Amino acid sequence: MDPSVFLTLGTTLKWLGIIASPLLLLPLLQLIIPKPLHKISTAISQAIDRLTGWVLAAAMVAAVALVFFQLSEVLLAYAYGWSRTWLSELVIYAFATMFMLGAAAALRDDAHVRVDILRPRFGVRGRAWIELIGIYIFLFPICIRLLALSEQGLTRSWLLFEGSRESDGLPLVFLFKTLVPAFAALLITQGLSEALKAALNLTGYREEKPANPMEANHGA
Amino acid sequence: MELEMIFAIAMFITAIIGLLGGYSVALTLGGVALIYGLIGIGFGVFPEPLLRSLPSRIEGGSIMQNSTLVAIPLFILMGVILERSKVAEDLLHIASRLLGKVRGGLGYAVVLVGALLAASTGIVGATVITMTLIALPSMLRQGYDPKLATGTIAASGTLGQIIPPSIVLILLADAVSNAASQAANQMGNASFVVSVGDLFAGALIPGILLVGLYMLWIAFNAFTRPERCPPIQEDDSDPVQLKEIIFGLGAPIFLIIAVLGTILAGIAPPTQAASIGVAGAILLAGLRLASDKDKKLSRLIMAALASAILIILLSNNLDMRAAADDHSAIDLIGMGLTAIAALTFFAGLVAGMLVLHRNAQLSPALKSGVNITSMVFLILIGASLFSLVFRGFGGDDMIADLLSAIPGGKWGALIAAMLVMFVLGFFLDFIEIVFVVVPLVAPPLIMMGFDPVWLAILMALNLQTSFLTPPFGFALFYLRGAAPEGLETMDIWRGAIPFIGLQVIMIALVAAMPALATWLPSLVR
Repeated sequence: MDPSVFLTLGTTLKWLGIIASPLLLLPLLQLIIPKPLHKISTAISQAIDRLTGWVLAAAMVAAVALVFFQLSEVLLAYAYGWSRTWLSELVIYAFATMFMLGAAAALRDDAHVRVDILRPRFGVRGRAWIELIGIYIFLFPICIRLLALSEQGLTRSWLLFEGSRESDGLPLVFLFKTLVPAFAALLITQGLSEALKAALNLTGYREEKPANPMEANHGA
Repeated sequence: MELEMIFAIAMFITAIIGLLGGYSVALTLGGVALIYGLIGIGFGVFPEPLLRSLPSRIEGGSIMQNSTLVAIPLFILMGVILERSKVAEDLLHIASRLLGKVRGGLGYAVVLVGALLAASTGIVGATVITMTLIALPSMLRQGYDPKLATGTIAASGTLGQIIPPSIVLILLADAVSNAASQAANQMGNASFVVSVGDLFAGALIPGILLVGLYMLWIAFNAFTRPERCPPIQEDDSDPVQLKEIIFGLGAPIFLIIAVLGTILAGIAPPTQAASIGVAGAILLAGLRLASDKDKKLSRLIMAALASAILIILLSNNLDMRAAADDHSAIDLIGMGLTAIAALTFFAGLVAGMLVLHRNAQLSPALKSGVNITSMVFLILIGASLFSLVFRGFGGDDMIADLLSAIPGGKWGALIAAMLVMFVLGFFLDFIEIVFVVVPLVAPPLIMMGFDPVWLAILMALNLQTSFLTPPFGFALFYLRGAAPEGLETMDIWRGAIPFIGLQVIMIALVAAMPALATWLPSLVR
């Protein structure tokens, strides 16, 4: 297929993203004029959380695929002395897909590690403020920067339909590289949802759910 | 002082203050680095192309294509699936029934169960919480001193970090291996490779010795102050059932042989062994959770276990290489049988997953597997952005100069680096320390002449100790979260102190006798 179709598609997506970017200010507006906005803020946040749930399902499929691909590689190499680059690449692709797509869900489920020393003393409002500030000064800048930086390489990769360097590899490197902007875009989207939740907490339209220590995820 | 140095120091301090705010560690590290990188570019003291290389760094061999780290999600999946199969509960039940009648018996049981869980799953948080929920109440009921009981549980839970297969050791292998090749580059000699297998082998003897030290400490208490750990008086718990013994003891031992055995015997690299471990965990969990309705599925799982053995037997006795072209008839039959066995094996895996799904355990396990993996790798991304910018400012040279300026030569530098890691371990998870601090301190230390494997094992022991150290040790947090309200936090803290002493003894032993960490890897290599 003609690569220029995908180039147009990519450019369209980019402009859609730029047009939608004022939405990232919604949490701040929610702080200033809470009353008229809280319904739409809640709706957007819930919609994003659902979307992230679907992406999480894809990451879970990648986790299962990782196990099956890796086992197939082991079995074939061990029993038949047979190995191919494309199979090892499938393992790597499943591995990378699992966490690049899973990162946004981990944000939603609050699975990312925090330093817990002072945090309990900040109270509910303090924590909501920190969430909001963290999203605006750390999460959004990193991800937007990453999106901007990956544009050039991604364009080149898609124009060539870049494949593996090995002759028996997968011809899908351009899709693999697309995981980086996808990761950034998903994190920005989920970050918007988290910022909205924090703003809704601060304006009294949402209750912070009590944390359940039994579901603590870290400590691998 | 040069402007770059000021930026490097300011960035480090900002990151620490930012981290204390309690926002996501990964994003704080990355965000602070990005801000300083942009300021540095503005002042013309930071090379801009370095920042532009970020996407290719994420795509490249250090993160998304890092074949060493593929073992991490696999071991995490193995752990979360095994957690769902109640293996910890079964093990504790059996061990306390078998050992409870002697003084200190429940203590020994907790240490042994901690060691077995560490060698099969190795997820510290889950181990500490499970043992606190199950073993602590019965220990307290028997009249155990709360300090001894909680200390034993917390320390045994952290064994998961040092006894292979452990996530810390995989991450350390990646970081120390990079550091070693960097050091070799600068010294201009051949690079020594540090593999995950090396660290697994290196940590085994120190890990087993630690288990021995813990047991000795409990025995010492049982001998000198028996009132601290009395034996079980009256028996009110259910008798141990055969199914429990088979699965409770059999499952972890089977997995330890299948995973650790193949790695240490050099049969399979850790990543491959980890996938076998996940398969084993799925099959065992399927068998354990199968109800009477799932008869057909359990038979399929049994068939899968049998076919695994068949495949091993066939491929050890026949020439089944697909590339060879002069196969005898027996070889061809063997190849056919292997194919059937392999299909049966995969069918058994699907059956195991189906049983997990029917018990509503599959998607929670996968979900927490994905969440934990994403958490680790987001930190890797944030930390690599941090290291990138810190290096761009020349911060790595600064650290190297600082370490060589410390009095006491290379030992002074080593002790300083260890102390910094220990203190950071109070409030940072081991993942951040391995990704941020190890790449900075390890290359100069290796250049001073320390053995990379030995260094990595010392660091692992050190991090494990800080996990256990009040007031901020993670194991103590988990324990506090799961312990009954009536238990004093102070007792938990004081209970950990003797075990920290044992840890320090172990670190000193490994430091004095490097062979404890390096002998086994040299055999395996």
